[in-house]
Formats: sequence, structure tokens, C-alpha cells
Amino acid sequence: MITFELNGQTVMTEDPPDTPLLWVVRDTFKLKGSKFGCGAGLCGACTMHMDGQSVRSCVVPVGNVAGKAVTTIEGLSDNGSLHPVQAAWIANSVPQCGYCQSGQIMTAAALLERNPNPSPGEVEDTMAGNLCRCGCYPRIKAAVLAAVDATNAVEEAS
Amino acid sequence: MTLQHVSRRSFLAGLGITGGGLVVGLTLPGCSSEAPPSFPTADFSPDAFLQITPQNEFVFICARDEMGQGVSSGLATLFGEELDVDPARFEVNFPGVHSAYGNPAFSGIQSTGGSAAMRGHYLPARQAGANVRSLILEAAARDLNVEKSKFSTVDGNVVVGGERYPYASFIATAQTLPIPEQSPMKTPGEFRYIGQDVPRIDAAEKSTGEAVYGIDFDIPGMKYALMKRSPVFGGSVQSFVKDEIERMPGVIDVVQISNGVAVVAETFWQAKKATDQLQIEWDTPALAKFDTSDLRADYQQALDEESGSTTDEEGDLTLAFRNVDTQIEVDFWTPYLAHAPLEPMNAVVKVENGEAEVWTSIQGPPFAQASVARALNIDKAKVRVNNAYLGGGFGRRLIATHVAEAAEIAAATGHIIKLIWTREDDIQNGVFRPASLMRMKASVDNDGIINGWTAKRVGGNILPDRMVGALPVVAPDFVPDGVLNSVVGLADTTLSNWMVDGSSVEGLAGDYDFPNRVTEHVTVNHGLPLGYWRSVGHSYTAFAKESAINVLAEAASIDPVELRLKNTRSNARQHNVINVAAERMKAMDAEKVGSLGFASHGSFHSYVAQVADVSVHGADIVVNKVLCVVDCGRPINPDVIRAQMEGAIMFGLTAALHGDLDIAGGGIVQSNFHDYPLLRMNEHPEVEVIIIDSEEDPTGVGEVGLPPIAPAVANAIFAETGQRLTSLPLRFS
Ligand code: FES
Ligand code: FES
Repeated sequence: MITFELNGQTVMTEDPPDTPLLWVVRDTFKLKGSKFGCGAGLCGACTMHMDGQSVRSCVVPVGNVAGKAVTTIEGLSDNGSLHPVQAAWIANSVPQCGYCQSGQIMTAAALLERNPNPSPGEVEDTMAGNLCRCGCYPRIKAAVLAAVDATNAVEEAS
Repeated sequence: MTLQHVSRRSFLAGLGITGGGLVVGLTLPGCSSEAPPSFPTADFSPDAFLQITPQNEFVFICARDEMGQGVSSGLATLFGEELDVDPARFEVNFPGVHSAYGNPAFSGIQSTGGSAAMRGHYLPARQAGANVRSLILEAAARDLNVEKSKFSTVDGNVVVGGERYPYASFIATAQTLPIPEQSPMKTPGEFRYIGQDVPRIDAAEKSTGEAVYGIDFDIPGMKYALMKRSPVFGGSVQSFVKDEIERMPGVIDVVQISNGVAVVAETFWQAKKATDQLQIEWDTPALAKFDTSDLRADYQQALDEESGSTTDEEGDLTLAFRNVDTQIEVDFWTPYLAHAPLEPMNAVVKVENGEAEVWTSIQGPPFAQASVARALNIDKAKVRVNNAYLGGGFGRRLIATHVAEAAEIAAATGHIIKLIWTREDDIQNGVFRPASLMRMKASVDNDGIINGWTAKRVGGNILPDRMVGALPVVAPDFVPDGVLNSVVGLADTTLSNWMVDGSSVEGLAGDYDFPNRVTEHVTVNHGLPLGYWRSVGHSYTAFAKESAINVLAEAASIDPVELRLKNTRSNARQHNVINVAAERMKAMDAEKVGSLGFASHGSFHSYVAQVADVSVHGADIVVNKVLCVVDCGRPINPDVIRAQMEGAIMFGLTAALHGDLDIAGGGIVQSNFHDYPLLRMNEHPEVEVIIIDSEEDPTGVGEVGLPPIAPAVANAIFAETGQRLTSLPLRFS
């Protein structure tokens, strides 16, 4: 039995400890927003936050998650409001097929958490680990930078 | 009469229908593979489906599959425009198999491809919306006892005498009336949504993780299956060791099916671990003796020695090539490619009492239906299909072998089966964009007129391969299976030897005046399964054609853009996009980082020209910026068009800079994104899109941005380095 925190709630699973976190979240806890793209840490579609760091959940055994706090796309925003990154995504009509976008958004949110003012180059370097087969890169970059601006504007106003 | 309401959940899950509301656009009773709400069908002539709930909500059933190309926003815009409802208010659902959902511009088939959605539905979807609006007005006239001409409408409300009445308030009367057929539509001057940057209607659910894809279907009781397939296409199982695998944790069953061996387990991970341990002896099919170098040698021999079939011929080449001032001849190579949509292939199938139900994401539910019916040897009408958002299609999801596999496993084990392909399965066992070797020979006279053009392509033909999947969809039900199977077999073998699929050569001699020209094709097919890949033949012919144009211009010391303008006089719209791009190129020239390359190519009834700004650092090719000018007729949603141009350019750059599949011992060498890399964020160019303001009917946008990018980059590399690269991916040897 492995216990961890999932989107603020304590959960327990009997899945074997070598089961990747991605499948535990998707199939045991039925949160389907995180996606399977490569299963090898190469595409970022499965990105979640573990204790605030973005991780590729397809290569994190759930045994390593015991006692940690995991956030998925479903838990990114509080009670129905949108995270600034999500709001920027919608405003820029970023998604095409959308399959990569949960992972993109989780990577971007973690970036802004640790660096509220990334340069365009830092955005590109950080987001380079998330593949988008539909080629939404120009809009992903624009949306991350828009989220930076929006967050700064809110902070200046308050 | 029962009023009906379909919510997204109940629709996707194929559950019963509850609540009240107006349903319009039903057809054809007696189709058992779906459960349309029970509304009298004879009174309705559908093109798209709509339901209005008592709360004045609008449920829109999107006839085309949404794989990222924005078709749900596009069709909702067409329908909403004439219905006079903001498309942002539509809740979109995707239907199962039904003849009402065919695309008139795609041979009437209920499938999504060929960049044909706006072309096929522009008028029908608007007409359907206009008819419903007229029906509501007719009902309102009766209910309020006011003349119809006194009404106007605003966003789902009937307005009269300063009062607003939601459409929903008239549904009881509307249901008793026949739906009008040819209600007047708006003139373009009256459009409120068409031509505007209407926000994508799926952006919110795709930014919150709520959008449901095929891989997200979770059917109670389902078990997980993974498979091992022959590493060489066409190989069959000789033997495998079952017992130790069956003893592994969570494993329920290990079964052999026609494509290989499947492991069924309680969880994905248990199935994955067991499949990894599975040892199978395969026989060695004919393909097993081939490596990439053998394939290329066969292609080269065919190119040099075989005359092939002539697919297009015009004018007199002997005369043209005799009198010329400048002549060139260049060969171009493009490799096999995988589609690699980010959502790997997957399907859930339940088989029970001689019937089957499928949950998947597919470019055409009828393909899933037909392949399951064939796999289980049951009637198509006994197979019900549920579709969802597609995590990318690009042509890959026109093919439903994975659905048939899941059906076979379900039938063999008695379980509801969720089959998931791994990325390795996707890259090694998929269907492939065929490789091509192309020889372009051209001549230009002293006035800059291209007076001779011959193009010869060697490679596989897709259509005979795809007939295997398509024939059962289009064949009428009364054709007995035995007959169908033998026709399919014929398509597989005989046809591939004499028939040249139009897509094999499309674009090789297109766009230009070319008064004297010949296109030839030599079919060489080693047996790898082939499939339609975003922009199909244009994905390689544009590279050969537009590179050759620049080689010719260079040889004759003519400006390459000038040469294009001089030789497109009979093709006004292509000529125009070249002109517009050429004008903008002048400004780019002042701001450029590296060197500029030009290419233009029309496809899917649209016209595109691109300029790439490219730098070369050692062996590294850096694409700094791309300008894309597109004429796709009247723009329905300019922002979706821009997104499709951006996306197609990135997709094309993946192929131009990285895309390569090697074959060793008949199998694909590459296996995942480490050795089959996609373009990444830090490699993407800035993209500027110019959309021609056209009043022609709308045409394709999903694929047309792709063909010109590889030659534009190759032409820029030549300008930057003086080296002419003639193979994809572009590499310095
Ligand atoms: S699925 Fe985890 S990185 Fe690709
Ligand atoms: S939107 Fe399709 S993979 Fe990114």
C-alpha cells in the first residue's frame, strides 16, 4: 500500500511500486487529463508536479511517490478558477489536437513557479522537453510570455 | 411525443437519452449502429445535427472528426452563422456511424481527410442552420400569432416588439412542423461569425485536461491488452511460450490473433511487463532480406532502366528539349516516414451476443465499424462505434487495424478489451508515408519560359494498400464476404502492379504552365504497409518540383521568383500568392538573419507560397523565420487558418530536418522519439501568415501549408552555402 497526496487529497494505492505514476493516476484514480505519449520520458505529455517540481510521470515508479504531493492538470487551478497559464492558453487559442497540452501547461506552470520572469530564451529551453506533433510552438511560447505579463500586472496592481 | 436531450457524457458513453428538447436533422430510420433520438424522421432533411434543450442550450453534432485542425469550430461557425447562434455556445459531440454524416467532398464517405471539410460543408452546413432558424421562426409566428416577417433573431433568441424569446420556447410547436428545405441564407455582407477570429470552441476543455480522447475511455470491467507484432511486416507466429507469461502478476490471458500475440492483464503496466518478456518465434517473410540500401538500389535501377507508366502528357517534348538554351536533370530522394500522432493508437472493444461496441478516436467511424465486422465475421450493423477527440490524425487514423486487433482479442478472451499501442508499436508497426526517388528534367528558353518538363517517380502506391480497409466500408452490405475478400485480395496484389494511385504523382508537374510535359511512374513496392500522410504525395513532390525550379533558375541565371511568376500565367491564384510573397520577401531581405529561400505549391484546391530565412552553422540548419501566403478561398476563421499554417510548417520541418526511417532486415530501426525526433520548441521558427482575402468558396487548410516548406528551406540553404541538398531529411554529407 502506497500513500501519497494527489491534488490535495491523501490517496492510497495497492498498485505494485514499480507501476509508473502516470498509470496509477489515469487508471486507478481515473484522472485522464495526463497523457501517454512515449512512455520513456521523451515527450512530456505525462508531466505532473511532484512536490512542486515537474516530472515525467511515465517514468516515475509510484513507489518513489510515497509521502509526496502530486499535482495533475486537474488540480492545477483552485476550485473552478483558471491558472494564469491556462487562461493564456485559451486566450491564444493554443491547442490543436490538444493531446500534449496538459503536459505543456504543467511544465509552463512549474517554470513560472520557480522563475516568475523567464526570458523568451528560457521559455524555449524549458519547453523544449515537451513535444507537440501539431506544431503549436509559436502559440505555446506566446501564451507562456502572456501568462508572465498577466501575473506581473496582477502583482503590480496589488 | 418524447422530447429529447443528449448531453456530452451520455452521447459519448452511448447511454440513453433523457430530458426535453428539440432535435433536428435526423435521417434514415433502421440504422442500428447508433441511437438517434426518436423524432419522426420523414420530416427532416439533415446536413448537420443540432439539438436545442429547454434551457436554450445548443448541442451540435459535428459530422467531421476533430484531430486538431479546428473542424469543430469551423462547422459550428457555418451552422451557427445561419442559425444565428454564437458558435461559442455550442456543445459539440461526435457521432457514431450514420449515412447522414458523409462528406460530399470526400466521395460521400463519413471520414475526415483530404482537407475537404470546409469545401464539402460550406453550403450544406449553412443551409441546415438556415433551415432550423426558419423552422423556429415559423413556430414563433404560430405561437405568438405574429407575422414571420416581423421577427428578427439575435444569438438564439427571436426578437419582436422589443421582447426576446429564446428559440427553446418554440420547440413544442416546431416539432409539429415540417423543416423547411431551402431557406434563404445570408449574403456575405451579413456574416457575423464567418471571416472573424472566432475563438476555438475546444480551447478551454483542451487546456483543463477535460477533453476526452479515445485513450481516455474507461469502460467498467475492461482489461488491458498489449501486443507483440512481427518485427518484419507480413511475418507470422511460428511458436511462443505461453505458460510463464500467464503466471506473471495480473496476467489474465495470452492469445494469438491474426497480427501477433496479445497479453491481457488487469492493468496497463502488468500487460506491458508481460509483453516485454514474451518470446515469439516468427517466420521470415520476403521483406526480411531488405535493408534501406537494397531498397534504394532497387529504386535507382527502376529509375534508370524502366520506362514506367505515363500519367500525364502534354505538348511535344522532343521539340522542346531540342531547341532549348538551358537544361537540367536532378534526382531527389525522400524517405519512409511514420505519422507519430502524439496519442498512440488505441481502442476499447466489447463483444457480446454477436454484437460489438467500439470506443476509439478515428478519422471515420465507418472504418472502425467495417474492420471489426470483418474481424468478427458479423454484420456491420451489429457494430456500434463511439468516437472522441483525436490526439492527432495526419492520415494515420484512417486505418483501423488496431480496432480489429482489439475486437479479435475481445472475442478470443471474452473480456472487454482496451488495447493500447506503445510508441514503439506506433513507429515500427504502423503504416508509412512511402519513400520516393524522383528524377526531374527541365529546360528553359532565353525568354525565361519553361518549355520542357519531365518528372519521373519511383516508389510505392498507397491506394491498393488502403483498398483493403476502404472496400469493406464502401461495398454495399449485400456483397458476400467471400466476394469482398477476393476483391480485397486483388487490390492487395494485382492492382498494385498496374494501377498508379493519383497521389503517387500529384504535384510533380502542377502549378506551372508547362506547355510540354510528361509525368511517369514506376511502381516499386517491397511490401511495407503504406498510408496517407499529411498532404500525401505533395509531401514529397513539392520538394522535387520546387527544388528543380530553383536549380533551373540558377542554371539559366534567372531570379527564381521571377521564373515562377513568368511560368504561372495560366494559374491566376497561384501566380497571385507568389506575387504577394515576393513583395513581402523584399522587406524580409532587409531583416533577414541568414539567407532566404522561396517555394510555392498548390494542393487540396488551395494555393500557397512560402519564404524561409535559414542560417547554417557547421552541420546545423537553423530556420529563423517563415513567411506563408495562403489563398484558401473565403477564410472561415482566419485564426484557425493561421494555426494550421503554423502547425503544417512545423510538421513539414520535422520531415525536412529530422524525419527518417531506416530499414534493417525488413524491420524499422527507429522506435521512439529519441531516434525518430520531432521538431522541438527551441528549433521552431517565427511564422508570419498572410491570408488572401478571397470571395471564392473555401478550400483546404489542414495540409496545404506543409508541401512548400522543405523546398523553401533547401533553396535557402543553397543561397546560404551554395550546396544543393537533394535528399530529405536535409543533411550535409
Ligand atoms: S509519456 Fe511521459 S514523457 Fe512521454
Ligand atoms: S496540440 Fe496536438 S500534440 Fe500538441
